Amino acid sequence: MSGAQPSTSAVVLRSAAWSPGIETTEELDAWTAAPHALQQEGHPDAKFLPAMLRRRCKPLTRIMLTAAYACCPQEELSQVRTVFTSRHGSINESIGLLHAIADSQRVSAATFSHTVHNAQAGLFSIAASNRQASSSIAASEDSFPAGFLEALTHLHRAPDDKVLLVTGDVPLAPTFASLIAEPQASYAVALLLGTTGHGPRVSLDIEPPAPAAEQPQWPAAFDFLRWLETDQPDLRIPTPARIWRLRRLATLTATGEA
Amino acid sequence: MSRCRLRALGMVNCLGATAGEVAPRLFAGDQSGLARRDDIVPDRVLHLGEVRSPLPPIDESLARFACRNNQLTLAALRSIEPSVRSVIEEVGPQRVGVVFGTSTSGVSDAEEALRHERATGTLKAGFAYEQLEFGGGAAFLASHLGVSGPCYTISTACSSGARALASARSMLDLGICDAVIAGATDTLCNLTIFGFSALQAISQEITNPCSANRDGLNLGEASALFLVTRESGGIQLLGVGESSEAHHMSAPDPTGGGAESAMREAIADADVRPSDIAYLNLHGTGTPLNDTMECDAVARVVGTDTPCSSSKPMVGHTLGAAGATEAGFCWLALDAATDGELPLIPHRWDGVRDPEMAAVNLVAEPATVTTSRPIVATNSFGFGGNNCVLVMGRES
Repeated sequence: MSGAQPSTSAVVLRSAAWSPGIETTEELDAWTAAPHALQQEGHPDAKFLPAMLRRRCKPLTRIMLTAAYACCPQEELSQVRTVFTSRHGSINESIGLLHAIADSQRVSAATFSHTVHNAQAGLFSIAASNRQASSSIAASEDSFPAGFLEALTHLHRAPDDKVLLVTGDVPLAPTFASLIAEPQASYAVALLLGTTGHGPRVSLDIEPPAPAAEQPQWPAAFDFLRWLETDQPDLRIPTPARIWRLRRLATLTATGEA
Repeated sequence: MSRCRLRALGMVNCLGATAGEVAPRLFAGDQSGLARRDDIVPDRVLHLGEVRSPLPPIDESLARFACRNNQLTLAALRSIEPSVRSVIEEVGPQRVGVVFGTSTSGVSDAEEALRHERATGTLKAGFAYEQLEFGGGAAFLASHLGVSGPCYTISTACSSGARALASARSMLDLGICDAVIAGATDTLCNLTIFGFSALQAISQEITNPCSANRDGLNLGEASALFLVTRESGGIQLLGVGESSEAHHMSAPDPTGGGAESAMREAIADADVRPSDIAYLNLHGTGTPLNDTMECDAVARVVGTDTPCSSSKPMVGHTLGAAGATEAGFCWLALDAATDGELPLIPHRWDGVRDPEMAAVNLVAEPATVTTSRPIVATNSFGFGGNNCVLVMGRES
């Protein structure tokens, strides 16, 4: 029933990542060869952003936009649809405002308008002059594979477009950090997805959860990047409620025949 | 042609606790749900669309999700839960997806947890991050219903709820599931009340959209949930249009270009003509910038004869829930259409035209329009310049 149909797949045209110490292709290759837990603190300069805009960009925005710009060819930055997926998004900024309100301090209008979960998507749209469709999603431990599915829904609506999928997080503010078990890290991974083109074709489907999945050591999106470098047919991403199965499909030839 | 049936609607907002309770008050233009409050923001009067009906408790086994936002979701679900459960039984829990929209999640409960921390040094007992994180609302719905298909939250500010329906339709087309629970919930909280106050976007009176005298919005809270299936007949989601603005984080592009392209795309996606739109539900927040750019864009796309209204003077701006709530209001109109007569949602305002904006056809009194094929559209525009327009229609 849940066998991969052509429409539940996408071609991974390009990828990029950023985490403290994993900032170049060579450093990513080194991590792929010998993976380890990602670092919690640090963010890039994001010098490609105009100074006025960069001033407004919090660490998560700088990290996600750095991966996005590294992944997407310059001439396509304004043309791609975007899906941003993050468990926490800008929640730390909201928590900061909640403390300010509790202390009867003035709330800054600009800070408030940057607490929306689509802040990174909105700032990307402004920086890249991108007027295409854009979604921002969250799904707890499922955030990366759920973002992959949301990207597939965009490719379904617009098969001639490409979708830039960007996932990332920074550690949750101390107020609430003790409430979650997932390892904390500063990171982003960006994938440029299309319905055709050169690259591995990856399908997505869902299986029932396995009992007591182990807590992963690093974000699922980094597992995905490692998996792309191997010849393993499947990548299973287990979360408390389901298993997301990503599967490498036979690459289409120029005529579209498998 | 893809099929996307909006098979059942559950909703709660300041007009009522079920779709059946909301409908007569909505079509009568009842503004009594918006209550005057001067005790929240110092030196400021607010009119809030607060849900005052009692909310159902969250099951003990799902205590980690026990927040007001999820209680509103549960309240909206209650009236359609039997149909939802029978579809789950029919297709299997693994084949049922959840796409949920919210912009606040359980932030009002986080505020209470923090107040407790200020007073005692520890967070309020029972507070869990699942109540605050955006993904928690989708996970709660899936856990409550026992479904394990695809499940996530879309949070694109005030277009979240409309986007949830757009993704639900695509999920069904992709075949990754056979039914989707799609909708959105937002809760009144200090974060949005103080945030919109700081933006000078809140009206001192009941909001007065499209008027020369408009001075801002009223905030509200709501939940609206649809059971969405891959079937023909009934009320269908016919078209989706989307755009980003590349303009500003909290102000729309004054040319209305983003709004216009999303409307045009939705109408084209529905495979209808602009003149087929029998009624258009405006985003209509009552802020000076939104209404001007929106009415100008509406006039360029569907002209100045198509009946239009904002429903926000009755329920307030329910932010992340607005797209689903207003799609719900369109659903109620389509559902009530009989013998080619489509009931219209009245536009409650002071009737003073703003000469600076296009004179769109605002529905002034409770009224109906005659149409051979009832097709309607609803606009949602969010912070970050995120637009989503839905076209819906009723098949005989």
